[in-house]
Amino acid sequence: MAELEEKVPDAAQPKKEQRPVITRRALCVGLGGTAALLGLGAVRYAGSAPLVRPPGGQDEDALVSACIRCEKCYEVCPRGVIAPAHLEDGILNMRTPVMDFSANWCDWCTEENGGTPLCVASCPTEALKTGSTPETGALGLAELNQDLCLAYRLIGCRFCYDACEYEAMALDENNRPYVLNDQCNGCGACESVCVSLQNGSISAGATERAIVVRPLEA
Amino acid sequence: MNTKRLRTIIPLAVIGVIAVGFATHVGVGTLSAIGWQDISLLCPLGALMTMIATKTMIPRAVISVVIAIALILLFARAFCGWICPVPVVSKIRGVFSKKTSNTDMTGTGVLPADENPLVKAAKGSEAADAPAPLSADEQAALSGCGHSCSSCAEKRATFDSRHVILGGSLLSAAVFGFPVFCLICPIGLTFATIVLVMRLFAFGDVAWGVILVPTLLLAEVVFFRKWCSKFCPISALMSLVGKANRTFVPAIDNAKCRESAQGTSCEACAAVCPQGINVRHPEAGMSFSECTKCRACVEACPTRAITMPFLPKKAAPSTVIVEDDETVPAA
Repeated sequence: MAELEEKVPDAAQPKKEQRPVITRRALCVGLGGTAALLGLGAVRYAGSAPLVRPPGGQDEDALVSACIRCEKCYEVCPRGVIAPAHLEDGILNMRTPVMDFSANWCDWCTEENGGTPLCVASCPTEALKTGSTPETGALGLAELNQDLCLAYRLIGCRFCYDACEYEAMALDENNRPYVLNDQCNGCGACESVCVSLQNGSISAGATERAIVVRPLEA
Repeated sequence: MNTKRLRTIIPLAVIGVIAVGFATHVGVGTLSAIGWQDISLLCPLGALMTMIATKTMIPRAVISVVIAIALILLFARAFCGWICPVPVVSKIRGVFSKKTSNTDMTGTGVLPADENPLVKAAKGSEAADAPAPLSADEQAALSGCGHSCSSCAEKRATFDSRHVILGGSLLSAAVFGFPVFCLICPIGLTFATIVLVMRLFAFGDVAWGVILVPTLLLAEVVFFRKWCSKFCPISALMSLVGKANRTFVPAIDNAKCRESAQGTSCEACAAVCPQGINVRHPEAGMSFSECTKCRACVEACPTRAITMPFLPKKAAPSTVIVEDDETVPAA
């Protein structure tokens, strides 16, 4: 009980003397940390190229603002076509979602979830906006590089043409495929099947496949 | 199994579940947005920053913040002591220094209980016969510091550097329009490391990030030894909301406590607390809002006088002392 009685005069003392709001040292450390964060924030203006984003993420500014790099979209993607952006894509974009069509392509989860993309449904911060469909929400635009394409050496390859499910590719008089830009939604099916970079079909100096989905803003 | 080991095993188990979830595409998310498929509990700081950055109310973020506040009200900073992977990752410091210093980085840092002289003395003298009564000086010292010194000032301050950085995190999100702190958050970097390494082996996704992300994470836990108590804005958020926490607060049974029952000096509970809380004399240590519910004090008490009841017992005078210090600012 002696303690209790002692506490009474303590409590009666002015609050400021008992508990300083913050020590000078803590304030300096805190302001240092704040300055570091504000410095880091400047990467926003360092300039970053637009990337091919998952459905609903085509507004680059909105995606970068809302994405907390929680990594949920790449986890839920049933086809594993969403990947974390690399450091090479800019510090700002690092670990934000980009499409990786090297092995598979995006059908807006038509097959797996009836057309509601799981990435959009699971995005907790709405960085990927709802309402994107294969018809309205193009991810990008396929671009065919005739220098690398096997068909343009009259080999007769038409994997990309056969893979396209949205009638966005056609064959010319020599059976060489080309992209119908107004039909393409950047689903990546063509890129995922392109063999131009595989063993035995490598073109000199090629670093990417002959048909690649490019971001719309680029 | 003691809670110290448990507090290492649980974060590792959380990491394991998240890693398996990632590999099997089940959609548990990471700690930044843990949940099941469409349902996620967002990191409260991430939720606040993303709403400030986009200047929109995001329903799932609002719900997450509300749930997070409710959990913090119930458990204070228990997340830091039981779930957060960063204190476990920080054990890697042992590789760089031979010293057996306390690797629990959640708080201000103390010696482990079995190496702490105060605890040893308390436990050792337990068997000894009549304990010496306290001298007047000791009584005075125990009932709170009469004079001011910098460490006491820091303990008593309402805010510390973390809170300023919390403000800085929200400010930077507002100024630059994206959650800046997420880029360097060690919790996020821990899971990013796991995801990047898994992708490296599963898909051959070679990226600089596989080196940069773990390097940044290691730099944070190695060079900022007191990350959790001095820098972490999530810890700051929890300590602010935790000021209203009244559940699972350590309470002393005065009939058992060596100090109140036998009149001897002990201080074992204060010596082991990683947060620098003095359970016996709350006014001499950090606020109970810093409590990670780690149970170190419960286990260190030589007379088992400390418990963590769900609600404070109204009748016991000890709880009056416990609450005394913080009720006023919380109200």
